[in-house]
Amino acid sequence: MYRPDLRSPHQFRLLEAKTGFLPGSNGSARIRMTDGGECIVSVKSKVVQRAQESNLIEVDVDISGLRDDSNLVTNIKYNLTTLLLQSFPFKCLHLTSRYSYKLYIDCIVISHASYPVTLVSLTTYLALKTTRLPLLVSETNDQDIEELPTFSDDWDDSKLLAHMSDIQFRPPILITIGVVGSNILLDPSTEEEQVLDNAIIAGFADDAVTTPIINMNLAYNSNNTQFKGLDNKAITESIALCNKYCGALFKALDDLIDQDEDDIDGSIF
Amino acid sequence: MDSVITITRPVKSDYEFDDEFESEDFKKEEGIVTPGELVTDDPVWMKGHGTYFVGDSLYSSVAGQVSRVNRLLSVVPLRGRYAPETGDHVVGRITEVGSKRWKVDIGGKQDAILMLGSVNLPGGVLRRKSELDELAMRSFLKEGDLLNAEVQSVYASGVASLHTRSLKYGKLRNGMFTKVPLGLIVKSKNHSWDMPGNVSTIVGVNGYIWLYQTNPTTAAPIGHMLGKTQAMVEGASKHTSYQPGQGSVLITRLEEESSWEIYSDKNDIINSRVRNNIARYYNVLQALSHSELGINQSRMIMGYEISLTYEEEPSDMNVKELICQEILRMETMRGGQ
Repeated sequence: MYRPDLRSPHQFRLLEAKTGFLPGSNGSARIRMTDGGECIVSVKSKVVQRAQESNLIEVDVDISGLRDDSNLVTNIKYNLTTLLLQSFPFKCLHLTSRYSYKLYIDCIVISHASYPVTLVSLTTYLALKTTRLPLLVSETNDQDIEELPTFSDDWDDSKLLAHMSDIQFRPPILITIGVVGSNILLDPSTEEEQVLDNAIIAGFADDAVTTPIINMNLAYNSNNTQFKGLDNKAITESIALCNKYCGALFKALDDLIDQDEDDIDGSIF
Repeated sequence: MDSVITITRPVKSDYEFDDEFESEDFKKEEGIVTPGELVTDDPVWMKGHGTYFVGDSLYSSVAGQVSRVNRLLSVVPLRGRYAPETGDHVVGRITEVGSKRWKVDIGGKQDAILMLGSVNLPGGVLRRKSELDELAMRSFLKEGDLLNAEVQSVYASGVASLHTRSLKYGKLRNGMFTKVPLGLIVKSKNHSWDMPGNVSTIVGVNGYIWLYQTNPTTAAPIGHMLGKTQAMVEGASKHTSYQPGQGSVLITRLEEESSWEIYSDKNDIINSRVRNNIARYYNVLQALSHSELGINQSRMIMGYEISLTYEEEPSDMNVKELICQEILRMETMRGGQ
């Protein structure tokens, strides 16, 4: 099997990424793709009382040129929210026994050619990984005496969200998998999307595929006449392919964050 | 295991605007203007495309290069939509099937039209189009089909009318479509080339490109269709006698080939070697357009040959740039063709 750009079936497209450039937010990232797709994600935080909040993460997705209630936007927002609520290590957001950080994740897709869910999710990963939160200086135990949390004034004391707890901080990501005939392709390009029999969007966390796993027609703006049902063999094969290769995504993204950290210039370029 | 993903940081451009670029001399030499920029305040110039008048001064309405033809001053945009001209060889995609006509996306401001009367229909060329043909239009060309055609005429409204009345035009199959900015396409006499690796290409003037497996019947000289012995017998007379329409397609062959096959949706069997080569040419085109290099046959062939040395990650940004540098190096070595 040959893909139009000679990638191997499990190979993703080349990305260009940058983190930590938005001064007004706790974490930010931008990814650009060679096909012109671009996404910026900003993470902001707020201190809340856990008892009063239904969840500690709120995701908002905005895709330029599309209405907020359009299918594409709501689908991506729903998938991303479900994934994060399911697999995000919420423990690291806890401040005291009553108070927590709440994260607001704002994703803007400036332009996109192929189905942008992986783009949004990888950018979100980078933004979350580079999110810095102010250092808590008050007591962590407010079980007996109620006390408002207070924070260090010095931003240099701020801690990476990734270092807030002992466990390895690895936000989940969403992976797009194309199925055509007996072939399984990771990260299908725009041209490939038009001819896919079917496509799977799968969550990936802790080195294994996780829910949500959904199938859909990626060629949402054309009447894809090839669209067919999905063989259950294809599902298991795609999951196996993801399990085998997608761990490398985390490594590549983490490497980029390391590089960015060594050379902080606060510029988007 | 080859790599799963490559993520790079944005390349910082160390490009600095010199004062030189700001100076008037530079502007005159290169003639690159931006929208709203004063091109000339000399009233002798006539305003052409991409310009507008305020008082006696002529301003540019697009970003592009100033072109002067006699007294006519126009600005050719660097980027923009395709403006069809009669005689252009274009690649397009059917967007709509209407009454007696197809609408074709050729990357222009408006869709071009292809009249039922300007296509070859199965069963001979020179026959009138009947109502039955009109009803069967969707079985010839339907929405989403790709075709190559020539611009027959351009109406005053800017809509192009296409025709496919030659065997080199018509429905496309056995290959792959890609797009490049149309400024990179150099207009030439011939826009369909056979290239090494059993791959042919049609480089539409509109920036739409079709890469496909070379068709053995069209790639070979005329007479290839005939049986070998027959061809040998006829060979002698072929060279001596006058042949109407020599160099192009004979009417008889046109009839032979205007069967349903020209509108077939089924691809031939394409072996993996050719598939690989088509993908290579695709990557070369992407590389050329990434580096904003004009596209011609020799560059595509050079790029292909260079790409053979890169087995891994042909879509890598670095490899793209390396290929283009290598092409330019080879061109200067060969004497800047």
